[in-house]
Amino acid sequence: MPDSGYPWPIETTQLDNGLRVVVSEDRTAPAVAVNLWYDVGSRHEPDGQTGFAHLFEHLMFEGSVNVAKTEHMKLVQGSGGTLNATTNPDRTNYFETVPAEHLELALWLEADRMGGLVPALTQETLDNQREVVKNERRQRYENVPYGDAWLRLLPLLYPPGHPYHHATIGSMADLNAADLATFQAFHSTYYAPNNAVLTVTGDAGADEVFKLAERYFGAIPRRDDIPAAPDGRTVAATGRPAVERVTGDVPAPRVYVAHRTHPYGSPGYDVTTVLATVLGDGRGSRLYQRLADGERLAQPDSVGAYGVDLAHAPAPLIATATARPGVGAQRLAAGLAEVVDELATVPVTASELDRAKAMLSTQWWRQMATVEGRADALGRYATQLGDPAKVGERLPAWLAVTAEQIAEAAADVLRAEDRVTLTYLPEETS
Amino acid sequence: MTLIAARPGPGAARPYRFPSVVRRQVAGGQVVAAHLPGQNLAVALLLLDAGAGREPVGKEGLGGVLAKALEEGTAHRDATAFALAVEGLGTELVTALDWDTFQVSVQVPVDRLNAAVELLAEAVRTPRLDPDDVRRVRDDEATALRMDWANPGPRADAALRGALFGAENRWGRPMYGDPESVAGLDVEDVTVFHSEWFIRPGTLIVVGDLDRLDLDALGAAAFAGAGGGPVERGGPIEAPLPAQRRIILVDRPGSVQSTLRLGHPSPHRAHPDHMAMMLTGTVLGGAFTSRLNHLLREVRGYTYGIRADFAPSRRFGRFAVASGVQTAVTAPALVEAVGEITRTQVGGVTEDEVAVARSWRAGQLSVELQSPRAIAAALTTLVVHDLPDDYHARLRESLLAADAGLVSAAAAEHLHPEALTLVIEGDAAVVRDELRAAGLGEVTDATR
Repeated sequence: MPDSGYPWPIETTQLDNGLRVVVSEDRTAPAVAVNLWYDVGSRHEPDGQTGFAHLFEHLMFEGSVNVAKTEHMKLVQGSGGTLNATTNPDRTNYFETVPAEHLELALWLEADRMGGLVPALTQETLDNQREVVKNERRQRYENVPYGDAWLRLLPLLYPPGHPYHHATIGSMADLNAADLATFQAFHSTYYAPNNAVLTVTGDAGADEVFKLAERYFGAIPRRDDIPAAPDGRTVAATGRPAVERVTGDVPAPRVYVAHRTHPYGSPGYDVTTVLATVLGDGRGSRLYQRLADGERLAQPDSVGAYGVDLAHAPAPLIATATARPGVGAQRLAAGLAEVVDELATVPVTASELDRAKAMLSTQWWRQMATVEGRADALGRYATQLGDPAKVGERLPAWLAVTAEQIAEAAADVLRAEDRVTLTYLPEETS
Repeated sequence: MTLIAARPGPGAARPYRFPSVVRRQVAGGQVVAAHLPGQNLAVALLLLDAGAGREPVGKEGLGGVLAKALEEGTAHRDATAFALAVEGLGTELVTALDWDTFQVSVQVPVDRLNAAVELLAEAVRTPRLDPDDVRRVRDDEATALRMDWANPGPRADAALRGALFGAENRWGRPMYGDPESVAGLDVEDVTVFHSEWFIRPGTLIVVGDLDRLDLDALGAAAFAGAGGGPVERGGPIEAPLPAQRRIILVDRPGSVQSTLRLGHPSPHRAHPDHMAMMLTGTVLGGAFTSRLNHLLREVRGYTYGIRADFAPSRRFGRFAVASGVQTAVTAPALVEAVGEITRTQVGGVTEDEVAVARSWRAGQLSVELQSPRAIAAALTTLVVHDLPDDYHARLRESLLAADAGLVSAAAAEHLHPEALTLVIEGDAAVVRDELRAAGLGEVTDATR
């Protein structure tokens, strides 16, 4: 068993304005990853402003005081770099991987949009990116079968007012109502150096990065009154299962079963992660063996289970299966529930546990194989768990999970009365 | 002002060093390996000359069914025991199929690579192929394709491919087949395809810390029991350009977006203009800042994204544009896209655009030097297209030397806006009239 899941050096500093800087040097390839985690996500959005954190992420690519509109992408790609950003309920991250000689350019670009976005933000840009995001919503959620499953699961899992109740993509009505002043205020409120972690991994040394970070980010003022998101740590159990049936243009019945578990980074979530792998990852998993092979209720490529790695409330565990031709939704749902229930009653065997741990090990090292994978992990641990060095603890913690802990966790968080079941039915069988 | 206004220039460029390549004949097959010292993950990939191009016409999807059937038990163990053995090593068999090759690979911590390659070879060389299992896998694959074809995209892709290359040819039909072609396969199709193409040794790609790996042992495991030599690959296929632009409508009632696929045939991979075409595609639609994405997303707000590229395989190639646009702007989006392709073909590209495109493509070669998977993909390119060990270093140099003259010449020669086929998968009742009115070409309905 490895002592650490992170055998590379980690060096940290904090600028006077509160920006935390994390550096992990590795000279193997001539590339560096630059990654910024801002501790703001859709959990911060009040009623009527759903989708704003994500729409704002789009605006961050549209120019800042010293960077003309569209120049950001052009400069990074024109340096041979790859870039993107993502928003989820917890946080927003921005990242680029560039040939090492362009590190300073990447830092300059990030600093300029951290400290100088508002003056460059125009109504025209907002209107354009609002349309782009609405097209993203159509393309990813509305125009594909089962595309809205996540949008439906969240309100079933988390009650109104909970920070995870609404989906990050937001509603069309709220997006349409978004005005410029709100976004200017959004940046001033949340995009402060003391609300961010800057991580650089790869072909660069800590001293060099610390010096550059001071140079480019050092004069950006901190903000001391950043409002917290609503507290979502405790979700009151309703005592009864939540069930939703959707009849629509889908090719086969599909069932999702979801539960609230524990926040990412907690011991309980480590158990959930191993449990999910035993349950639904790979051909040796219980769901595959029982539903795809065994009773042949489900299409083989359709079964799976996974935790959604969210840190500010009990994170969801989702198991799903899609019916084989001739199998009804009810029978499939019953089969899925039975396999989930058995996690509490049928002990996980040593070979099931070894299989899950071997798969999780490879998955972990696969993320760590690239500088961008490492940078994102370090940013996460610094932002959500307070210390990037904690990244090394995750893999050993997974490998220490026991069959007894899995059975206990299943009995604790997978109870039938806490279950969310979402079923899709094709129109003609309704 | 608290920010530094001056944009910093680049630091000293790091040298580009592709890992040293080892080529070795072992046990009747070829091993091609790259050394990644200190890397604790390793990849092994068996490359077989059994791509979709080897499937008979009417048997599309054969390779996909066989790929799944390989995991339904072997001469030594049943499907469950095999799955547990592979996943107990922390890996899975990853299969991939393109026009030129069939690939099976494993990625594991380096000390487990031998065991993983033995299992890989067991599945590829000695699958059980029990008739009941093969029929079930075929039915599952047909169902999986039906699921996939319920999404926007596959039907439009099939309509474009058929229009470009002719449905009477294998390469005019979908690479992975369609739900009907897969449903029509029988057990013998699968067993014959296996005995014809999966027993030949092929090439084993290995990427990892070679100080901790024994290439001879890996090759011996991968090629054990294999036999037969290479087979003639066939020459380039010339697909004629259509005489005029045309529109094919694929109905998707109630769709909130129109899925667009625009394209025409283009040269095969070994064409001398390959690199210049790659840069043409990059300027036009290969990067976020490309012409098409800038116009349709950033200026017009019609789409979440639009891409264009030249995709060459060993025997043929195609140029294509792909996007999804809001239904209400289907016709204007097409007009803008065709207009931009025409401007690029007629007016060429600027030095600024080429500067971005070439340094992006060249820089990506550096960024991609990291993971074992990425290096394995680079080695696969060398093998499939008979390229020398220093290909990537030389490609990088020729990319950096490219100028607007070279790329504009490729755009003029290889873009054919007047011969484009425009496939629109969307709500036909809503978009038909405005497509006719747009005057881009005759509108016909897809045959299914």
